[in-house]
Amino acid sequence: MSPSPCEEFSKHLESWLEESHDPVMEAHVRSCARCNALVEDLGAIRATAFEWAYPEDEPSPSLWTSLRAQLEAEGLIHVQTTSWWDRLTSWVPSSSRPVLAGAYVAILVAVAFAISGPGESRLDRQLWLQSAENTSQPLQQDLDLAEQATVSTLPQSNSPVTASLQKNLAVVDNYIVLCEKSVRDDPQDEVAREYLFDAYQQKADLLAVMSERGDYEQ
Amino acid sequence: MVRLRRIEGGELPESDAIRMAQQGDAAAFERLYQLHNRRVYSLCLRMVGNTAEAEDLTQEAFLQLFRKISTFRGESAFSTWLHRLAVNVVLMRLRKKSAAETSLEEVTEPDEESGGPRRDFGGPDLQLTGSIDRVNLQRAVEQLPPGYKAVFVLHDVQGFEHNEIAEIMNCSIGNSKSQLHKARMRLRELLQETLRDKAREDRKAAGAASGGEE
Repeated sequence: MSPSPCEEFSKHLESWLEESHDPVMEAHVRSCARCNALVEDLGAIRATAFEWAYPEDEPSPSLWTSLRAQLEAEGLIHVQTTSWWDRLTSWVPSSSRPVLAGAYVAILVAVAFAISGPGESRLDRQLWLQSAENTSQPLQQDLDLAEQATVSTLPQSNSPVTASLQKNLAVVDNYIVLCEKSVRDDPQDEVAREYLFDAYQQKADLLAVMSERGDYEQ
Repeated sequence: MVRLRRIEGGELPESDAIRMAQQGDAAAFERLYQLHNRRVYSLCLRMVGNTAEAEDLTQEAFLQLFRKISTFRGESAFSTWLHRLAVNVVLMRLRKKSAAETSLEEVTEPDEESGGPRRDFGGPDLQLTGSIDRVNLQRAVEQLPPGYKAVFVLHDVQGFEHNEIAEIMNCSIGNSKSQLHKARMRLRELLQETLRDKAREDRKAAGAASGGEE
């Protein structure tokens, strides 16, 4: 006994749904309410599933933090603890001005603390903070002197560029204060240390620009 | 204006990120996570229907990925490899859960094809067109057996082709097609049953309202 048209169509249903329509089957679907309803229903399911894909959901940001901590705990991620010097020296521009070079050296040593961070224990943290304070105080004085010397080379005119550089220096200084506070509050926070590093880098870049501008104007 | 930026993985290409992650580079791991986390999370979420569990499964999938990344040789696409790990993680969880939740009654009359209970879908067929939405579909998908659910979500929701699903699910292309067909047919039955339930409730409510008026 030959299969009924509906049974025959059910064999071709998958290819039908993949947009491959046989003319004989097409004629059957048009004339058969049952098969027509089946095709319509499956089409509606596909269309709704397609809509369901968007917008793509996003996991909470804490998932990466948690995952990263796990990866570090398992030793799968190599945490950089000794290569900070390379990172620091990579962004020092060449400068013929001794005072500016001094500023860079001061910044380099100061940010070493920001990059390396303390150990896990409470004692490590205290030692790290104390050491950072002891080192940063004289360096900060050197840095202030270098900054004053660099700023003094700027022309005394009220040009928009000079004003903008000084305004930006004030912005970066405020940013450094905020970043230093974050690192002091939680020296283990690697993101805070990264931000502090960036802040120092921006200050060094800015001083370099100011120094070059001073040379140019003079 | 002064730039205030973080040092990021940036636009590191996937192939470079894979190579660097194989050497334990933290930024490369983060880059790979950034590239794929939404897609993997969406897959998990549509499979389990619960955000906390989906995050847990996403983390597990990425953990497995990063533990095994040194063995990745590029025989298949990285995304396919990652999805295979993710689907395996989800299926294991779902199967463990369904084994724990299956009642004695359901065990005595298993459905041969799905391993789940055969349901009796009585009553006339109701047309689904214009009657189903995401919520209905999500509820119906939740009732699918794990294998059907995986193929349906991968193909009809996430848009994978059958050859990719065959790689992800470690099955033949024919098997992927057949599982998808069965999943869609089962969904149709489940959605029709939902519509019938709703129609019954509407009739009851209408009856109660007209009885109250008399």
